[in-house]
Amino acid sequence: MKKMFKKIANCAAAAALTAVMAGPVCAGETIVMDGSTTVGPIAKAFAEFYMRQNPGVNITVGESGSGNGAKSLMNKTCQVANMSRFMKDTEFKAAADTGVMPVAHVVALDGLPILVHPSNAVKNLTVAQVREIFMGKITNWKQVGGPDLAIVSVSRDTNSGTYECFNELVMGGEKIGERTEYVGSNGAIRQRVQSTPAAIGYAGLAFVDDTVKALSINGISASEATVRNGTYPIARPLFMFTDGYPKLGSHLHRLVTLCLTEEGNSMIKETGFIATTDY
Amino acid sequence: MGFFSILVMAAALILILYPIISRGLSAYIFRATSEHRRVQFTEFGIGSAQEIERETAEVTAARQPVFDMIVAHEKDLKAELQEAVDQVHALAAAEGGFLQRSLERRLKRAHADASVEEYLTVLTDVRKSLEGQFDRERFTDVITLITERKQRVEVETKKLTEMKHALRDLLGPLPGDRITELLRSHYGQTRWDRCLHYQDKFLYRYEWDYSNPELSGLKMRTPRVEDFRGTDLEPAFAYVRDNLEAMMQPRLTLYWQFLTTDSRDAHFFGGIWPEVLGTFYLTIGAMLFAIPIGVIAAIYLCEYARPTKTVSLLRSCISTLAGVPSIVFGLFGLAFFLNTISVSESKSVLAGSLTLALMILPTVIRASEEAILAVPFTYKEAALGLGAGRWRTVLTVILPAALPGILTGIVISMGRAAGETAPIIFTAAVSVGLALSPLQTLNSPTPALPWNIYNLCTEHEAVDEIRHVQFGMVFTLVALVLMLNIIAIALRARISRKLRG
Repeated sequence: MKKMFKKIANCAAAAALTAVMAGPVCAGETIVMDGSTTVGPIAKAFAEFYMRQNPGVNITVGESGSGNGAKSLMNKTCQVANMSRFMKDTEFKAAADTGVMPVAHVVALDGLPILVHPSNAVKNLTVAQVREIFMGKITNWKQVGGPDLAIVSVSRDTNSGTYECFNELVMGGEKIGERTEYVGSNGAIRQRVQSTPAAIGYAGLAFVDDTVKALSINGISASEATVRNGTYPIARPLFMFTDGYPKLGSHLHRLVTLCLTEEGNSMIKETGFIATTDY
Repeated sequence: MGFFSILVMAAALILILYPIISRGLSAYIFRATSEHRRVQFTEFGIGSAQEIERETAEVTAARQPVFDMIVAHEKDLKAELQEAVDQVHALAAAEGGFLQRSLERRLKRAHADASVEEYLTVLTDVRKSLEGQFDRERFTDVITLITERKQRVEVETKKLTEMKHALRDLLGPLPGDRITELLRSHYGQTRWDRCLHYQDKFLYRYEWDYSNPELSGLKMRTPRVEDFRGTDLEPAFAYVRDNLEAMMQPRLTLYWQFLTTDSRDAHFFGGIWPEVLGTFYLTIGAMLFAIPIGVIAAIYLCEYARPTKTVSLLRSCISTLAGVPSIVFGLFGLAFFLNTISVSESKSVLAGSLTLALMILPTVIRASEEAILAVPFTYKEAALGLGAGRWRTVLTVILPAALPGILTGIVISMGRAAGETAPIIFTAAVSVGLALSPLQTLNSPTPALPWNIYNLCTEHEAVDEIRHVQFGMVFTLVALVLMLNIIAIALRARISRKLRG
């Protein structure tokens, strides 16, 4: 076994050496973005737009969750960590220990709509009701003015930034109940909700279509105005984190500040999120 | 009994393969609309300019009646508002002074070419400024007129906006629309099946009826034409129902470029070349690492190692390794290749290949071992008897004789390497990226078929729009693995034939 590993390690080391030597020969630049599936649509749109404008730059986008994005940034395996939540203290400390200084760039705002099946007659819930549903205290739609159906609550996994935001903004310290299902992405939440009449879930604004129904919360529905002025209660910014502020004028700098341009703005709106600036 | 089991297996195979092939092929062969050809021409330079121009002209001519009806309807709506605007004009002229100037300035925006929305904002502004006057009682008549007209037109405009939205989903941007950045808003539906879906959404409005609070809502389908009874738009719906073919010009197309072009706007348009190439690189890379190490290890175990306890332990370790779930290899690859010895700065094809190589190594070793052990002992004795050294015997007698068996192991593991998702999630795969050059594989991550199939089906923001891409990828992956296997099997057959002389 030892021998085998030694061989593999040797082989890998040789390959690494080649990689280092071949590095400067490679034309163009590779920018690796990793992290949130919620920020994914924006990151993908930005990457393609930027690559079209700057041939020779290769931008790759991975969607593995905010937590993994943060880890990749501190392991220096990505240049941009897409995150749908802010970095945690522990992540900041861990990053600082490895010599990475995370800098946050807010790219867009998100309303975090609460989704139900369109056949559900419920139109509005209060934050307290949503909390109690996810805690498992409210178990039937009848209790909140809906049909007589046992509620199926669907949540994102704990690696997700959307989960953290939901936990903070809705649960407020209460624990999500045992009967809640956990799924790995925004798209999976939508698929679960669109196929389950009794389901309730939450996802980024870009993932809402006419197969699911977004509820209004405390009587306010998520829109550009209500998210921006903070009246929609479950809103949050979306981030791209870089290691230090990127060198001005570099590809990385232009990529993460694309959200401030008119084109970036229009892309954010088209994907369904809310731009931070207005044109 | 044997026949029965074969029958069951064949049935299962057909059950699995049939949807893959039939739905997967629909990514390659489908009825493509003129929008598809326009995408191909503008984005990829495929097709002749004249042909596209001619077709665009035809299609535009077929669509024009609908656009004209919209314009006529908007004109009607504007005419209704115009009356209020005229009243304000008259009022302004009668008032004179500052109020006249302020009103006229606002009204200037409500010119003949302005949109209905523009008219509505102007009237809102005017009403606000009239209501702000200290002697607003004098303007009550005008204010009431504005309010009443505005209300009626706003209801109509809302219906019109919905209808235009549905039309845009079907045909692409309408004349006068601002062209935005994302490509998906530049074109209409490229596939005829999607066209029919959106035609239905254009012709009918789907709403949920919650009238019975005890039960779940019911999906209600109302013809959209009901919203526009008696207006200029009424014939538009019958027109779209009957003339969609002329508006979209569907033609059965073999879209082989699906394999060879890259994707645009997160797989909304274009093909899957970067994914195919990525899978290819990863598989080849894994084989490059796994075959030499695996075969050498097998030679060592069979020919050199003495049958001690350590060696038998080693053997059982290798067997155990073959049963380790692939996600464990993925995490190991992330922890070891990327975070500990950093073979590359980020995820990369190199790191992914090394991880995949580790995963398939046990299979390669075991298969090679079996093949080497199956070589008759007499071969070895003959070679040794002729005075060949041990290494020479292995190289010239045993390995060639064992080659077919070794190749079998390689074939099996190659298919596995191409199809595995878990090991490459953390080490190599991304959802969007360019096709790489061989040199770039050393430090760049790549999209790869297995991962992108998973990504498209769970994480993509518009899964239902691009199901065909997903099925196309599945089909391509299956075909790719099959092709690799066939090549290897053919190679193997050739070698065994040669050996038999």
